[in-house]
Amino acid sequence: MPAYLVIGNGIAGINALEAIRSLDPRSPLTLIAEEDFPPYSRPLISLVLEGALPPERLPIRPPDFYRRLGVRALVGQRVVELDPKAARVRTDRGEQVAYDRLLIASGAHPRTVEAPGHQLAGIFCLRTQAQVQAMRAHLPGVKRAVVLGGGLVGFKAAYALLRQGIAVTMLIRSPHPLSQQVDPEAGALIRRELERHGLEVRVGVEVSAFLGSKAVEAVELSDGERLACQMVVVGKGVRPAVDFLPPEAVRTDSGILVDQHLQTSLEGVYAAGDVAQARDLVRGQPWVNAIWPVAAEQGMIAGANLAGRPVVYRGSLGRNVIRIFTLDLMTAGLVNPPRQDDYQVLTHRDPRRGTYRRLVLHRQRLVGMVLLGRVEQGGVLLALIQRGLPLEVDPQRLLEPTFNFASLLP
Amino acid sequence: MKKVIIHPERCVGCLQCMLACAVAHSASRNLVGALQEEPRPRPRIHVGVTPSGRGFPNRCRHCDPAPCMAACLPGAIFRDPTTATVLIDPDRCIACASCAMACPFGVLRFHPTFQAPPGKEVAVKCDNCDQRQAQGLPPACVEACLTRALTFEEPDQALKRQTDRISRLVLEAVPYAEDLPASLSLLRALKQATAEMNRR
Amino acid sequence: MSTTDKKFEQYTVTRDGQLMLAKAAREGVETVWDRFAAQQPACGFCETGLSCRNCVMGPCRIDPFGEGPQKGVCGADADIIVARNLGRMIAAGAASHSDHGRDLVKVLAQVAQGRAPGYTIKEPEKLRRVAAEYGLETEGKDDLTLAGELAQAMLEDYGSKQERITLLARAPQPRRQLWDRLGISPRGIDRETSEMMHRTHMGVDNDWVSILLHGLRNALSDGWGGSMIATEVSDILFGIPKPVSGSVNLGVLKQDQVNIIVHGHNPVVSETVTAACSLPEMLALAQEKGAKGINLVGVCCTGNELLMRHGIPMAGNHLTTELALVTGAVEMMIVDYQCIMPAISDVAACYHTKLISTSDKAKFPGMQHVEFHPHNAMDQAVELVRQAVENFTARDPDKVSIPVEPQPVLSGLSVEAMLEAMGGSAGPLLEAIKSGKVRGAVGIVGCNNPRIRQDYGHLGLTRRLIANDVLVLDTGCVSVATARGGLKTTQALEQAGPGLKEVCGALGIPPVLHVGSCVDNVRILVLVSALAQALDCDISDLPVAGSAPEWYSEKAVTIACYFVASGVFTHLGPLPPVAGSPNVVKLLTEGLNDVVGAAFAVEPDPEKAAQLLITHIERKRQALGLDARGV
Repeated sequence: MPAYLVIGNGIAGINALEAIRSLDPRSPLTLIAEEDFPPYSRPLISLVLEGALPPERLPIRPPDFYRRLGVRALVGQRVVELDPKAARVRTDRGEQVAYDRLLIASGAHPRTVEAPGHQLAGIFCLRTQAQVQAMRAHLPGVKRAVVLGGGLVGFKAAYALLRQGIAVTMLIRSPHPLSQQVDPEAGALIRRELERHGLEVRVGVEVSAFLGSKAVEAVELSDGERLACQMVVVGKGVRPAVDFLPPEAVRTDSGILVDQHLQTSLEGVYAAGDVAQARDLVRGQPWVNAIWPVAAEQGMIAGANLAGRPVVYRGSLGRNVIRIFTLDLMTAGLVNPPRQDDYQVLTHRDPRRGTYRRLVLHRQRLVGMVLLGRVEQGGVLLALIQRGLPLEVDPQRLLEPTFNFASLLP
Repeated sequence: MKKVIIHPERCVGCLQCMLACAVAHSASRNLVGALQEEPRPRPRIHVGVTPSGRGFPNRCRHCDPAPCMAACLPGAIFRDPTTATVLIDPDRCIACASCAMACPFGVLRFHPTFQAPPGKEVAVKCDNCDQRQAQGLPPACVEACLTRALTFEEPDQALKRQTDRISRLVLEAVPYAEDLPASLSLLRALKQATAEMNRR
Repeated sequence: MSTTDKKFEQYTVTRDGQLMLAKAAREGVETVWDRFAAQQPACGFCETGLSCRNCVMGPCRIDPFGEGPQKGVCGADADIIVARNLGRMIAAGAASHSDHGRDLVKVLAQVAQGRAPGYTIKEPEKLRRVAAEYGLETEGKDDLTLAGELAQAMLEDYGSKQERITLLARAPQPRRQLWDRLGISPRGIDRETSEMMHRTHMGVDNDWVSILLHGLRNALSDGWGGSMIATEVSDILFGIPKPVSGSVNLGVLKQDQVNIIVHGHNPVVSETVTAACSLPEMLALAQEKGAKGINLVGVCCTGNELLMRHGIPMAGNHLTTELALVTGAVEMMIVDYQCIMPAISDVAACYHTKLISTSDKAKFPGMQHVEFHPHNAMDQAVELVRQAVENFTARDPDKVSIPVEPQPVLSGLSVEAMLEAMGGSAGPLLEAIKSGKVRGAVGIVGCNNPRIRQDYGHLGLTRRLIANDVLVLDTGCVSVATARGGLKTTQALEQAGPGLKEVCGALGIPPVLHVGSCVDNVRILVLVSALAQALDCDISDLPVAGSAPEWYSEKAVTIACYFVASGVFTHLGPLPPVAGSPNVVKLLTEGLNDVVGAAFAVEPDPEKAAQLLITHIERKRQALGLDARGV
């Protein structure tokens, strides 16, 4: 009877616990996790910030989930040390847990901005439900917010605040938000849609200081300007939560490198979710795709492998679906390919239907897409990307407004 | 357990299944009433068109495991344990379209329904006509399909028919096309030729 | 090249069309091709003719697979339902042409009464010729009196008093005898249409062969009745077309002039608009508004009528009607009836174009309705031209794009004009056919249809036929296609086979002859009748054929049926909704040979269709004892 240990109760950890239990109902199974809230849907926290979803709707498992599953749950504790030789971890509360098989699903931490005044109240990251609760508490009296960064988190924070009528200034490096997810043409359309709803975008400036007595009252920009604001959201990306790993103990790159069974360079130690760096389906090289569906899938597969049923993980794929006021966006894979002859980019803009589509092909294989407006058939395209086979239909058909599953049939 | 089985070679693209589906998912459950309802009921089976201009009735396969269920952020998609039907709870749904991103068949749609909270856009897809089935009726799309392109039967039975057909094809050299009547083979040959001609 | 351009190349072979489709896409304008795509898949019951909505015990459908219902509620099977549906299509087509003809007869009658200012008798000689055919005494009567009598006599053809409609007498005797034997000589133009509606009511004619035979009679009532009257009266009122040069494609629109497009079928409206456009006060007003002139152009068949008689430029055919407005350069489009897509209102709404409907029986959403009657037509035309000129200042120069240079065309080849070109008789053509320099002739007629790449069928077939020394006569939307493709110039003789090149070269005509609008298909009937009489044979013995490579309308079904019933083998590009009854298909494609000496063939591919038509022509030559190739 192997002793299993899972670090982290994000979706990767939760799915892993369930997968392990479905294959091995009896062996000891321990969870160590920082968040003591019941397992919840992390992508929904921005809806809580927006006020569109009550916080009690966040959990996706019942409160007695761990007990029912027979999991020894050490929640509210942080792993501070991993001893691979002894196969044991230690938590910040001094708890020591030994394991035979370990899954690291510790997730990621938001990057912070180390400018003067960063400890002021009213400056937030958007990662956990606890942070969102704190933001909600701070919201009354906020008239203007500054969002640092235009990535997924910065975007979602800005959107949630705009939806509540709060003026938002977004400081970004590229000329439009979501530059990792979309191409410049789609980016311009998205920026326009956001600006129509009150977003102000500032390009090429950084925050040099946060000003205020107790809570933030303004930010000072690198060009010397001061912007009054009552709230700041930092969305400068995340870094894998690997502080507890001894140096050189495990092979890492941007995250913990894993093989096709999601096993790390240490025998019996696996990684899944935002902390793991597995093969990217369209890039063909290890890549961290820190998104929920990837974490969910990796958690399930890692759990099966931990419990002794070998399952191959084919690879991860970056993808997002976002609703921006009346504009829907779905994006996946490689949308800004390297300038090489063997990549083909097809675009189609339909002003009448208000749609924009961009497809990226690599040697007849679909490797990336951006859909703006009418995203319902996006899953069919995504499946084509994931399948990775050469297209049997004229790729132009995929751009047509009438494209659907039947278009792929003979 | 009986399932809806699609026989694509028999679809003539008449869209009757879509009409019947919309009516079956209306509050009034009849065509005239359905056309006056707000929100207007919409079909959950979608007849798409193939490159040669033929119809294909596309509906939820109720996959197991279901990618939409795994992708659902608020946990609104669930499987009815007795019928194995994948269902969506309109009260939990947030219409985030994560299911649409996960569905390789493109069967999810987003719109208000009479069952959803008023004014709320929700994810909608085939529910295998669970309410009709509870009354002993077959799914509406099957009932509407005059050419038997949609059947409601034990999968084993449909598979056996297919096995028999292939056996005859192999052992007795009976051409597969014998199932296609002269009328449709003429129409389809001409449509196919026209489609190819227009592409070159 | 962008991927969208590639898509547009699959929609149309026309360069102007491709460029305007790209502009339409940029400007968010929906076109017929978008709507066609949105309609796919087509309903298989409707497409095979297996659905019936004739009564309210139904609607009914027959399952072509044989497992579902095989009979409608009344008991009608696939054969009956398909035949009834086809019968009603024929009736609708015959009604359309014949009603168009009736409107012209009414104008003739009002001219006779002096109640139609703006119209005159342009061809008194033809008036007398036709009156004589109607058995009227012509001696000692003035034109107006005779016109009045002819109009009344023609109206009798529409009624129920006659044994046979008058102009059937133009057909060769063996053909007339055959029709009598089969009981399909049409008795009255409206009567046959009315009887078809009766027969196809529930519980009347339930013998599918009988329904189809009446379909042929109904079609003949159009070909030798309504349409023929339309053509003859148009010639009497507006002039017999004579060889005339013109130009075609969207390049005929002018950047610096007021552009007015006439669209529809009946020259009654377009002729008065033509006259109004050249009034000095209108030209002065145009100058005042900053335009260099008034440029009247046509689309569709009313355009053909004007091109044939006046050399007025043609902007395009059926599928170009929306794209003409996308140029952003059209001040006004004036429509009468038939083939006017209601969608042009949506297109016009994107630009400054004013749309005018003129017929009490053809109104459209989003159009200003200015009703034309013989007594007010000239006044209405002047008022409309004034409005069009005033609309010139509303043009947005940033939205204007005229995509190509116009293509020259030689038009106006009425039967009379052809005979004149040949020195007064059909002798030279007969000699050319006998000697084998010209193998035969094909009348290519009909529409555009988004099912088939625009003009691809027309051009592919025409090019292949003329290269094989087959003379082509065309009408309707085909005539625009071949003109736009440059085939109606003497330079096109380079694409013709050596024999055809020699014969047409000597006569100074192109290898493809424009004989008119879609009602003018009767000119082809008149010509083949003359040839048969000269050779002392029936039409079905001649090395001739008909073809409708891109047809879409009910009128085209009727035309095809009167061609076949008159003994002309006829090819169709798209399949009519008959596949649901293999019996009906067999009768139409084979059985009719034993009934009327001609049948239908369906072949979407123009290359293969050309082969079918050439083989047919060579077989007919062989039967006549002429030299025949490859049979």
